[in-house]
Amino acid sequence: MNRLNIAVEHAKLANGLNVVIAPDSTAPVVTVGIYYKIGFRLEPRGRSGFAHLFEHMMFQGSANAPKMHHIKLINSSGGLLNGSTSYDVTNYYEAVPSNALERVLWLEADRMRALKVDDENLRNQRDVVKEEVRVNVMNQPYGGFPWLDMPPVAFRNWANAHNFYGDFADLDAAHLGDVQEFFKTYYVPNNAVLLMLGDVQAEEGIALARKHFADIPAGAAPPFADPSEPEQTEERRGNVEEKFGTLPAMAIGYLMPKRRTSDWCAMALLDQALHGGRAGRMHRELVLEKQIAVEADGGIDDLFGYNGPTQMTTRILHKPEFSSEAALDAFEAVTREVRENGITADELEQLKVKWRSDYYATLEGGRGGYMPKYGLMHLLACFTLFDGEPQLVNEILDQFLAVTRPEIQAAAKKYLRNEKRAIVFRTPVKASAKEAA
Amino acid sequence: MASRTVEVPNGVPALASERAVTWPKRTKARLSNGLEIILAESHSIPKFHGELFFRSGNAAVADRAPGLAEMTATVVRTGTTKRASRQIEEDLRRIGADLSSNSGSDTSAISFAGLSELSEPLLALVNELAREAAFPEAEFERERRQKLEEVKLERTQPGFLASERLRKVLFGAHPYGQVSPSEAQVAAYRRDDLQTVYREFYTPGNALLLLVGDFDSNEMLSTAEKVFSNWKGAKPAARTFPAVSNPRGRKVYLIHVPGSVQTQILAGCHAITRKHPDWVKLGLTNSLYGGAFNSRLVMNIREDKGYTYSPRSGVSALRQHGYFSVSAAVRNDVVAASLTEIFYELDRLRSVPVPEPELADAQNYLSGVFSMGLATQDGLLSQFSTVALNELPDDYLETYRQKVRAITPEDLLLTARKYFDSANMQIVVVGDRAQIEAQAALFGDLEIFDAQGKRVD
Repeated sequence: MNRLNIAVEHAKLANGLNVVIAPDSTAPVVTVGIYYKIGFRLEPRGRSGFAHLFEHMMFQGSANAPKMHHIKLINSSGGLLNGSTSYDVTNYYEAVPSNALERVLWLEADRMRALKVDDENLRNQRDVVKEEVRVNVMNQPYGGFPWLDMPPVAFRNWANAHNFYGDFADLDAAHLGDVQEFFKTYYVPNNAVLLMLGDVQAEEGIALARKHFADIPAGAAPPFADPSEPEQTEERRGNVEEKFGTLPAMAIGYLMPKRRTSDWCAMALLDQALHGGRAGRMHRELVLEKQIAVEADGGIDDLFGYNGPTQMTTRILHKPEFSSEAALDAFEAVTREVRENGITADELEQLKVKWRSDYYATLEGGRGGYMPKYGLMHLLACFTLFDGEPQLVNEILDQFLAVTRPEIQAAAKKYLRNEKRAIVFRTPVKASAKEAA
Repeated sequence: MASRTVEVPNGVPALASERAVTWPKRTKARLSNGLEIILAESHSIPKFHGELFFRSGNAAVADRAPGLAEMTATVVRTGTTKRASRQIEEDLRRIGADLSSNSGSDTSAISFAGLSELSEPLLALVNELAREAAFPEAEFERERRQKLEEVKLERTQPGFLASERLRKVLFGAHPYGQVSPSEAQVAAYRRDDLQTVYREFYTPGNALLLLVGDFDSNEMLSTAEKVFSNWKGAKPAARTFPAVSNPRGRKVYLIHVPGSVQTQILAGCHAITRKHPDWVKLGLTNSLYGGAFNSRLVMNIREDKGYTYSPRSGVSALRQHGYFSVSAAVRNDVVAASLTEIFYELDRLRSVPVPEPELADAQNYLSGVFSMGLATQDGLLSQFSTVALNELPDDYLETYRQKVRAITPEDLLLTARKYFDSANMQIVVVGDRAQIEAQAALFGDLEIFDAQGKRVD
């Protein structure tokens, strides 16, 4: 196998801003991203959903680019833009023809330097966010299942257990003072990484980063709340009503090891053995063989980007004629099998080829098919912010390809334990279903 | 080609001169069995993407049963004369590949991606699926049962209910009027029917193989010849369809979903196919209206009024017809207000010329976003397949940006008048009748349905 050799240049400005460039002149397109090391896990207490609401505010105007100009300037340069809030990072990104690179950097620097928003902007985006929550969660069958249903059942520390999209009362309570405070605390250059990928030379990119970002003053090191969880010693269960769908559903989540440990690599491959599509054991046993479930999938949410307690989760929608107990029994037969017998040598070989192929796809891949190199950007950002080592993008693949069968079985025994798991049942109100959790 | 100027605030860096956009060379060939093949090299990652298209889809067999081609495609991957379902899935993983098979209104396809070093075994599997699918009885029964659950589930999704109704209203008895089968229709599928569709559709005479990725085109062409050349079969007979309805006058269709906390709006009218000479003009007009973040509708009902998170408009091109539509999921109490703005923005584009700077912004947008497709293998594949399946001119990609740049405010006005047919827009709203009926009724004669498609008024 060829070793990966992605060109990666890393510099740190005097104000603490990390700059990472990955030049590749294949297409006249450059993807720019800024990642701030703050996500919804550590948003302020009593302000659930605030990190995400704040992300919306970052498009509402900065000192020299008032409301609507940011979007207009990117679109009218031939580019696309968006942002997203995750557990431990928030990102802002643009893909543009490379002749617009400096304009994008100017805009990102302008909003890192000074956010300029008012009450009207906040009211507007609060309304927009509520419709976002309605369209994705409250008005959809199985909306938010299990990513919003699981945390309050699985975790005890508010940081991990609260509603990440936000209770509407908390969104309503948020005021402009919160916005500026959050901005001042977390949106400082020393808590961020700027990335440029694609049609840009390394020296050019770093020089442009200096030109536009070097005079932004560093802030105090952000205070991070402690996200650690008390030791879990027994299985946790919860119930949520399903308003629209008619199939009973359940999600089972097991606590993951810390990222970048050797257990982490083993769990990542075990996850693929269990949830890797139609060949994965969950789908094969529950959907194809026993035909109990209509869907049985899952995985680790953001393997490279989580930086606090997280789970590997299986999501099952099963046929109403089977009870929840029967579905759970079938699920447990799969986890028992890997605990007792591990996986086969042939299976591990298959998994590694697929892992390598998927990793390449991630490097090139867009987000919804339109954002070139989004995957590479995400890896570089996480490796920079959490590990200080963007070069890991060239090395980490080998660590996954070195995992052995005994390591996978040991991980199964250590992590797939009832006292380390949580189960959420999502029960249809409409179903004639006789089963109860 | 120089970018056109845009009004910008002080201090914004000007755009540097644009780099040339060069689309990779396409190699077009026919294998000895008549299979048409298009190859293009893209060496961004050591992988390749492919798609084996068949130029027939659900529409061609809608008179037998809706969704029959889709069901056929689903069962195709579950077994061949040589491999059982489980073997297929494991073999795919063994060669690091992804594969899916599906069918839309006009085409069926086996889509795949894999490692360049293992391209031959992947192509061999694709060939096997296209030629020797066995339709095992047990797999068919399981997939049919799965499909039953799927069609039940989609009736709980507001977006599905809206688009199903709009297609019915716009296309009537034409096969495009039916987007999904009913439970009873799925229950009536027979394995024989699927095999008949398979024999008719899945032939080299009806197919197009597209391959994009990290390979040498000549080597890949000889691999394809080796793998596919024994496959035989002719094009199926062309079919004629009933005429489409083209409803006159605004009308409102309310799908009553009790307890909805939001209303899904979808409104549309007939437009054009991809081949139509007005396509690029309509694309630009649409991007000004609601096809981009910076568009008028998004700025109005999202960024100014906060009615919705995700308003958008688009032109859907089917092979024989096309339609324009606009959608937004809005707060229940602003359904009428949102529809008012939706029509205001449509009518404004029909009546007032677009200012030159706004046109220039939109031209830059469309031109720039078009070249994003260059940066990834699947982006290239999607552009090449659009050209090939719609029989667009060979230089379509190369001349697209010039066509965009040549559009004038007068063109936009004429295009909007022709295709933003606001007087005949058909409006679908999905939500709780008690909260939205009075608002919806302001916009035209109202018919009310339940989620199962039954009239309830």
